[in-house]
Amino acid sequence: MNIVGFVIAISTLITLVMAARGWETCTSVPLNDIGTDIIFIYNAPVKPLNTGCYIANHLFAYPFNQTLLAEIEQVPNVECAVPILMHRLRAMVFTGIDPTQTITNAVKPSDVIEGRYLKADDEYVALVDKEYASLNNLTLGSTVSYAANYTVVGIVEVSATNLIKSHIYVNLPIVQQVLPEKPIGFVNMGLIRTTSPSNVKQVSEALKEQWPDSSTLTGLDLAETAFGVIRIGEETAWGISLALAVITVLFAVKSQLGNVGERTKEIGILKAIGWSNKNVVNQIVVESLIQGVIGGVIGCCLGLVFGSIALSTIGGEIGGALSLVPFDPVLIAVGFVIALVSAVVAGLFSSLRAARLVPVEAIRTT
Amino acid sequence: MMSNANMIEVSNLTRTYKTKSGGVIKAVDKVNLQVSEGEFLTILGPSGSGKTTLLNLIGGLDKPSSGRIVLDGLEFSKLCDGDLVNVRREKVGFVFQAFNLIPTFTALENVEAALVPTNMPKDERLQRSSKLLEMMGLSERANHLPSELSAGEQQRVAIARAFANKPRVLLLDEPTGNLDTKTGKEILQLCHQVSKTQGQTVVAVTHATYVKDITNRVLYMRDGKLYTEIPQGEAVQ
Ligand SMILES: Nc1ncnc2c1ncn2[C@@H]1O[C@H](COP(=O)(O)OP(=O)(O)OP(=O)(O)O)[C@@H](O)[C@H]1O
Ligand SMILES: [Mg+2]
Repeated sequence: MNIVGFVIAISTLITLVMAARGWETCTSVPLNDIGTDIIFIYNAPVKPLNTGCYIANHLFAYPFNQTLLAEIEQVPNVECAVPILMHRLRAMVFTGIDPTQTITNAVKPSDVIEGRYLKADDEYVALVDKEYASLNNLTLGSTVSYAANYTVVGIVEVSATNLIKSHIYVNLPIVQQVLPEKPIGFVNMGLIRTTSPSNVKQVSEALKEQWPDSSTLTGLDLAETAFGVIRIGEETAWGISLALAVITVLFAVKSQLGNVGERTKEIGILKAIGWSNKNVVNQIVVESLIQGVIGGVIGCCLGLVFGSIALSTIGGEIGGALSLVPFDPVLIAVGFVIALVSAVVAGLFSSLRAARLVPVEAIRTT
Repeated sequence: MMSNANMIEVSNLTRTYKTKSGGVIKAVDKVNLQVSEGEFLTILGPSGSGKTTLLNLIGGLDKPSSGRIVLDGLEFSKLCDGDLVNVRREKVGFVFQAFNLIPTFTALENVEAALVPTNMPKDERLQRSSKLLEMMGLSERANHLPSELSAGEQQRVAIARAFANKPRVLLLDEPTGNLDTKTGKEILQLCHQVSKTQGQTVVAVTHATYVKDITNRVLYMRDGKLYTEIPQGEAVQ
C-alpha cells in the first residue's frame, strides 16, 4: 500500500540523516575537548623501558625536536601547533604542557575545578586529575611524585573522551628535565589546530607529505578505530535519502497508477454521472495527499524513533550521541514535504490517466 | 403534465462496433425516436438487441457512428466533451444495468456523488441525499456499503442517485434486472411516481414485460432496430 511506501521512505531518510549527524558529532567530540583538529606524532618502534615510555593516545610516540612545531605552523591553514610531552610509567600518565596555550591543550584553564591553572614560570608544581586525586587523597598543597616531587596547585576534571587524559600535568621544561631520558628540547606530540574544520583533511595530507615518517590522527581516523561504526557522512546520508525520495515518488506513482487501474470502473461511473475530469483529478489528488500526510506523519515519528535508537548506539564509548545531536525540526519538515510532494505528483500523474478514461468503456468492464 | 414538445429526438441513429475478427456489428441501426416531455417510455428487447447502446447514446456517454441526438433542445454533435459532461450532470439521470454503485462509498455517499460536481454546499448535498434515500425507503441503510445491501436495495440507491440532480431525463437500463417480479414492479412504480411528480421524461429499457402496465408507451427492439409492434413470428416472452 502507498502509505507503507511513504512511511518506509520518510523514516529511512530521517534515521539516516540523524545517524550521520550523530556520527559526525561523535568524531569531533574527542578532539574538540582539547581544541585540536589533528594530533601529530611519530609512531616509534620503541619498547617500554622500566623507566617508562612515551605514549600518545595509547600508542608509542617517539620524541621529536620541539622546533619542528614551529615549522608545522608554517604549513598553510595551520593556526597553531601545541607541544605535549606525554610519558607513562605502569598505569600512571604524566604530561608536560605549555600553560600559555589555553585554547588547544591537554588540559585547559576551564578544566580546573579547585586551585589554579599552571603559570609559565611554575616549576615543581602540578595539576592532578580529580579521580586520581580522590583515589590518593590528594588535596591542594599535597605532594605527588613522578620522577620528582611536585606540589598540587590545582585539581582538574578532564572529560573521559579527552584522548590524552593524564593523571599529572606539569610544565613542559620541568618534565623534559626530570624524565630519565632527559629529553631536553623534545616533545612527542603536537596538537594542531587548523583555520577551519574543512581544512583538516588537506592539512593532514600536507603534513604527511612534508614529514613522511610522521603520523597524523584526525577525528575521522579516531572515529573509525574508536567507534567501529560504518561511517556515513551527512552528505552521503542526504544523497541516499534523495535517491530514496526519488524512489518514493516513482513507487507512489506506480502504486497510484495501479490504484487507478483497479478503480477504472469506479472512475467511469463517476464520469458517467457527471463528474468532469477536473472533479476526478481533484478526488484522486486529494486521496493521494491524504495518504501522503498519513504516511508522512507516521514516517516522521518512526524516523525519530529509529534515529534516536541509532544515535544511542553510535558512539557508545561516550555514552551515545543522542544528547549531542539536537532535535532538528527542519529535517522533519523536509521528510514531511517529500511525502506530500510525492503524493501530489503521484496523484496528478495517475489522475491524468483516469481523466482519459471513456466512461462507457469503464462501465462495461465488470 | 405531458406536453407536446419533444424532450428527446433521435434520428437515423447508428452505432457500429468493429469486432476483433474484422466484422462490423450494428448495435443500433438507423433508429428514429421521439419522446415527449413527461413521457414514460419503455423499450423491450432481448439480450444483445442494442438497448444499452441506445441508452448510452441518448445519455451522452457514447458517441454515435452517425445520426442525430437532440436532448432538451441540445444537439449532441454540436457539443464539446465538456458540454457533454454538463449534460450528464444537469440533464440526465442514469440507472445502469448493473447498479454500478461505488463499492467503497456508503449508500448516502453514492447518492451524494452525483451532486459533488454541482455548486451545492456539502450539507445541502447530504440533506438532499438522505431525503432521496428516505423516499426510496432506505433511511435505515444510509450508512451501509453496497456490499451490505440486497440487490433491490442497491437498485433503489442507484435510482436515488439518478434522481439526485433533478434530471430532465431519466434513463433506466434494466432497472428491474436481478430483482424478483414483486420487487421489480415496486421499484418501477416508485420511479413512475417520482418522475410523474417531478415532470421528468423516462426511458426505461428492459426485457421484463410487466412494465407495460405502468408505462405510457412500449417500443420493441430487435437487432438494433426499434419497432412499435412485436415483430412478426415472435411470441411474447
Ligand atoms: N464495446 C463493444 N464492443 C463490441 N461490441 C459491443 C460493444 N458493446 C456492445 N456490443 C455489441 O453490441 C450489441 C448490443 O449490445 P447492448 O449491450 O446494447 O445489448 P443489450 O440490448 O443492452 O443487451 P442486454 O439485454 O444483455 O443488456 C451486442 O451484440 C454486443 O455484443
Ligand atoms: Mg444492456
